[in-house]
Amino acid sequence: MSELRADGFPEEAVRERARGGAATAFPDPGEYGRVLFGADPTESAGAAADLLDRLRLVPPIFVPHRLERLIDLAREPMYRDVELETMVGGFRSTLPIYLSAFGSTRATSGDRGLAVSRQAGRLGIPMVVGENVMPVKGYGRIEDHAEQSMLGRISTYATHALDGYGGVAIQQSTEDADAEVWNLVYSDPNVQSLLESGRLAFELKVGQGAKPGLGGMTVLDPSTAARLTDAFIMDPVFGGRGDAVLRCGSPGTFTDEILRQQIRLMRNNFPQARVWVKLPPARDVREAALVAWEAGADAVTVDGAEGGTGWAPVAFLAHVGLPLGECLRRLGEAREPSQHRGGEARAPDRHRGDRPSCLLVSGRMWEGARVAKSLALGADAVGLGRAALIAVDTDAENGLVNLVGCLSLELQMLTSALGKYHVGLLAREDVWSPDEPVHPVPHSSSTESVRS
Amino acid sequence: MLVAAREFLDGEGFTELVAPVIGPVTDPGARGAKQVDVDYYGHRYKLMTSAILYKQAALAAFDRIFYIAPNVRLEPLETASTNRHLAEFHQIDVEMAGASREAIMQLAERLVGHVVRQVVAQLPGELASLGRDTSMFAELLSQPFGQRSHADAVADLRGQGHDQSPDAEIDWAGEAMLSRKASRPFFVTDYPKGSRGFYDRESRERPGFLRNFDLIAPEGYGELSSGSEREHDYATIVARIRETGENPAKYGWYLQMVREGIPDSAGFGIGLERFTRYVAGLDSVWQASAYPKVPGVALP
Repeated sequence: MSELRADGFPEEAVRERARGGAATAFPDPGEYGRVLFGADPTESAGAAADLLDRLRLVPPIFVPHRLERLIDLAREPMYRDVELETMVGGFRSTLPIYLSAFGSTRATSGDRGLAVSRQAGRLGIPMVVGENVMPVKGYGRIEDHAEQSMLGRISTYATHALDGYGGVAIQQSTEDADAEVWNLVYSDPNVQSLLESGRLAFELKVGQGAKPGLGGMTVLDPSTAARLTDAFIMDPVFGGRGDAVLRCGSPGTFTDEILRQQIRLMRNNFPQARVWVKLPPARDVREAALVAWEAGADAVTVDGAEGGTGWAPVAFLAHVGLPLGECLRRLGEAREPSQHRGGEARAPDRHRGDRPSCLLVSGRMWEGARVAKSLALGADAVGLGRAALIAVDTDAENGLVNLVGCLSLELQMLTSALGKYHVGLLAREDVWSPDEPVHPVPHSSSTESVRS
Repeated sequence: MLVAAREFLDGEGFTELVAPVIGPVTDPGARGAKQVDVDYYGHRYKLMTSAILYKQAALAAFDRIFYIAPNVRLEPLETASTNRHLAEFHQIDVEMAGASREAIMQLAERLVGHVVRQVVAQLPGELASLGRDTSMFAELLSQPFGQRSHADAVADLRGQGHDQSPDAEIDWAGEAMLSRKASRPFFVTDYPKGSRGFYDRESRERPGFLRNFDLIAPEGYGELSSGSEREHDYATIVARIRETGENPAKYGWYLQMVREGIPDSAGFGIGLERFTRYVAGLDSVWQASAYPKVPGVALP
């Protein structure tokens, strides 16, 4: 077994799914008929559970969408009839899932990074390549160890990609700008197939969930650290330990005008690439998302405070940043109805005020219910981070495919239970909060509004 | 053409300096292009994509300067088919202290006019052998250049059904469309912030728009030159560097110089190979270079 651990994350459950696939959406079939089941009220809504965990998905009795689907199919629809295909930040994806950024941290290096890329490509879901991969691991065109590099991840993905699906988003932060990651990728002959098929995006990293307000941090051995002193601040905080140096990135300075102009410059300089913007779970996340969409971003990615594969100070993990549920509540007030929802993919014209408002979120995602709740609260897709790494660590060939297979079955069952047959139709009416109403309770009792 | 350009600029009181080839930073304003890194004794240096920052520095010694500057930009591969991009090229790179945009545009117009006039007068045989119809220069030599704003150019293109972003540079196809409609060179002014480097000065009267210009050749030849009034206020430059996604730390020497004070100025760079292509009437810019580097194509 690998050394990879994820304390505070349902690691064992993820490993079980990575091994067993869709079957693990159910209790052990061997227990059928011998064990009595029922909800444990403390399990899903305990005091320690986060905002999303405390929500419940609540199916209706009256189901007009099911009637529509019944008429389409000329038979009663079943959960396998739920369509999952979704536009994710300008990419066509087989389901509303993408792979979150893994940076240059050691947990994501080498074979794990490649296994994740290979399986994401097979699944037809987009993949984000994290910041600092190139300055730390190299690009891979003319260096040694090309397979560990950024190009290694991109080309592995492209080789295995499902035709017409998915895409790669390349992250860049303030420090990466020195290495001109985007410029290099954009002009690279190896990346042209993705670019020409509209499957390349650049993600501007404004911040991240694990340590909002701080820049990237990784622990390096002293020789790697010495090579990078030009690009990063090295903090000798580990003092006596001769084998470890803390590499610190800057969080970057943003105002609304700086964010707006950076996005416009990305669109100006890389007109064939999609533009994604990753925001931390900050108190002004709503305002920042509005600026990003207005400036023409194809997607805004919000990493809840629960998220993050990265190295972060203990105080930040426990005490800093908005939980994802609260981010979604704030963002829900900001969004226009998305052009991407409801199955019909339509490319918005960004120059005619027809702004895309694709919202991607991440934070402790690994199973279908949390994904469904996030979609119901307004996300278009959710990112897998730690879960994907643990899955490929469990089974380098099929771990992620199995995990996602289980998740997609759950998503189909949950969506159909809510009386809907496209995952993009999930809406606030589908969730109930014990804390406060997440949407006003309508006076009319029977019909639900159709979002499309 | 270089002889004529030098003759003109010398007559206008400009001093020719020799441009740097490498430096810790270079012009970050090149659309989508990658800079070439040089391992300079363990420091990451760059080949010049343009010498703009060094032109501003040179004004500490002379009020009017120019370079015939070699530049290298690893352009996106899509530019290999525009007929007007080379990865290695030269600029007639001019900067003038205390100049307004209007003054520097007028200088560019007179410089282009002088060079074309000299070539037409002195090299009729060469132009004839290239099949260049010199009557195409009649308007250039007899009338002022045209001028329109970026917003007007965008509206024109959108009116023709071309999907041009109002927030970005005119794209390659749009630029060719505008150029084909023209019969003499014309300036496009007032590009939106977010389409150019941090050194193009933002209008005080119209925030969000830059005091800059492109000079476009007629007959479909497209852009010959870009220029602008320059930002010279320290705090404004730092904020603008952030707006272009850059890390101010790598501009240390430049920012120190700006902090100590640099003159306000305006300037431009004329792409020598593009200018040659236009004057000689060549199909593609690579024909204007003895050792052309077409983006992505490995050639000597």
